[in-house]
Amino acid sequence: MSKRPLVYSLVCLAVLGLLIVPVGTAVFALGFGAGDSPCVMCWEERIGMVVITLLGLFVIRFGPRPQYVGLSVLVAAWGTYMSLRHTSMHAARDVGQGFSIEILGAHTYTWALLIYWACVVMIGVLLMMTRKEDWTVGVRTPRGLEKLAMWVFLVVVAANAVQAFASTGPPPFVGQGDPIRFSFNPRHWVWSMEEWKPSPVSLRGRWGIAKPDLATANPDPATGPFSDLVELALVEEKRLALPLKGGLPTGLAYDATTDRFAISTEHGLHIVDAAFARVTRQTVIDGGFSVDLGRFSDLAFVDPHTLVIIGENKSYVTLRENDHADPLRNYRFFLESADRFDEVSRSRLSTVRARMAYTMSVAFDPDTKSLFTISIPNETVQRLVVSRFDRGDMTLSEEFLPTLSEASGPALRGKSRSLDELYVTAATVRSGVLFALSAAHGTLLAIDLETHRVISAFTVPAISQPVGFAFKNDRFYVLCQDSRLVVVAAPDLGSAGRPGAARGTSHVPVPLPRPAPPSDIR
Amino acid sequence: MEFLNLVIIFVAGWLVVRRPDRERLAFRLAVASVVLMVALFCLAAHGSLLPGVNY
Repeated sequence: MSKRPLVYSLVCLAVLGLLIVPVGTAVFALGFGAGDSPCVMCWEERIGMVVITLLGLFVIRFGPRPQYVGLSVLVAAWGTYMSLRHTSMHAARDVGQGFSIEILGAHTYTWALLIYWACVVMIGVLLMMTRKEDWTVGVRTPRGLEKLAMWVFLVVVAANAVQAFASTGPPPFVGQGDPIRFSFNPRHWVWSMEEWKPSPVSLRGRWGIAKPDLATANPDPATGPFSDLVELALVEEKRLALPLKGGLPTGLAYDATTDRFAISTEHGLHIVDAAFARVTRQTVIDGGFSVDLGRFSDLAFVDPHTLVIIGENKSYVTLRENDHADPLRNYRFFLESADRFDEVSRSRLSTVRARMAYTMSVAFDPDTKSLFTISIPNETVQRLVVSRFDRGDMTLSEEFLPTLSEASGPALRGKSRSLDELYVTAATVRSGVLFALSAAHGTLLAIDLETHRVISAFTVPAISQPVGFAFKNDRFYVLCQDSRLVVVAAPDLGSAGRPGAARGTSHVPVPLPRPAPPSDIR
Repeated sequence: MEFLNLVIIFVAGWLVVRRPDRERLAFRLAVASVVLMVALFCLAAHGSLLPGVNY
């Protein structure tokens, strides 16, 4: 390799490029010029680049020995991880939002990802140009460009050391998450030990949210957040003997127009008659095709022959009954009964307040043509959030945290208790009131959709791990995960519930619509 | 700590440029700076070691 100055010239150019463009610009232009100080992660990303240039000097001086090339690959790989980890903190924000300075439309940590990727590519190219005899080339005498690279290295590293001393201080002080603007004036220097503070080590941090688990919900009403709740009157309790497919039951919905119920399982949909005696139509959906639907958590009729099924991850699929469905076209969507339904759409619901929270419930309000979901509180999002989505575009249209009225409505057992202790697994809308059934403490909330207030709360007897909830003829039907069906009398909310409570209970048959033309909105 | 790391790197670079006979020491300093860099990044990222995005 010593006889091939072109390769060394390329190494010199790579070293100079890395020193001048990202590292030199960062310290001289952004740092000393614009007063920008790197955060603690930026510092390590910058230092990684400096170490790669240092290893480039080793190659220029001693030849491309395996330990130099190997270590530079390791540092470039680590740098890729560092910048990916750093970029991920801001990558999901809205357009233009980021941290610190933007350069050519991207923030510095994003550029670091590209630079480390380029380093890996460059090292690979140079490695392909080396030969075995290059490993033992001995100490080389630098010339021209090589000398320049070495002196530029020393100047740039010295300048970075000056900036590091001013911005982060001597050991044991360490860089900051939100660094102070750089200044040569010591009065403006802030040295911090913030990063040394002990805190839990985690792989995924706030993203490590456990999926909903009914077994974690305490069913005992006596330990719930409310005191003195009225228990709804039990009308009937029976175990369903329906041949459900696709896993355990997860949801229940009722359509008054056709007088039919729908039951979701973890991956299946079943239309059943009003007496829960037989399944008239069923399918099992391929949840792994296209948008990952996860485990279904609930469903709702949005018209007499169309259902929205929601997954725990707030992904959804809209299915429409069709006696003439094309099984060949539908093969991709369904694992069973591809000739009984058409898939209308499959996508995801986006939330703001309920972001980072799973859901186990969905309800449809025909008055406002809206779908409602209720979040499952977790360690990251410790609140119960109601989200409303417009049926037209399935876009978030409203989000609120239900409130309690001091003057009326249910009373908490104490100031430390809250609605966030509830674990809502089923919901339905009736006359402007959202009924939300919690698996925790067997509590049923009645939430006024106009005032967002909890106007009443009840306990539901004989239920354990409820997953589905529907209203029919002044009765609530609760489906439990063990296939038990509990029927209770629906409460009279007086003037709180809006008029028209009996709306939609007529049993006028509605003909199945003609098959819709294929829609490709995925 | 970043200041310390850059001083280590500067010394390693100085040895490469001016004292090539101390190659082994220079390389050990380079390794030390890498270890320090990794440790400091882990210190900053230990609350969520994996990139914080949806998986």
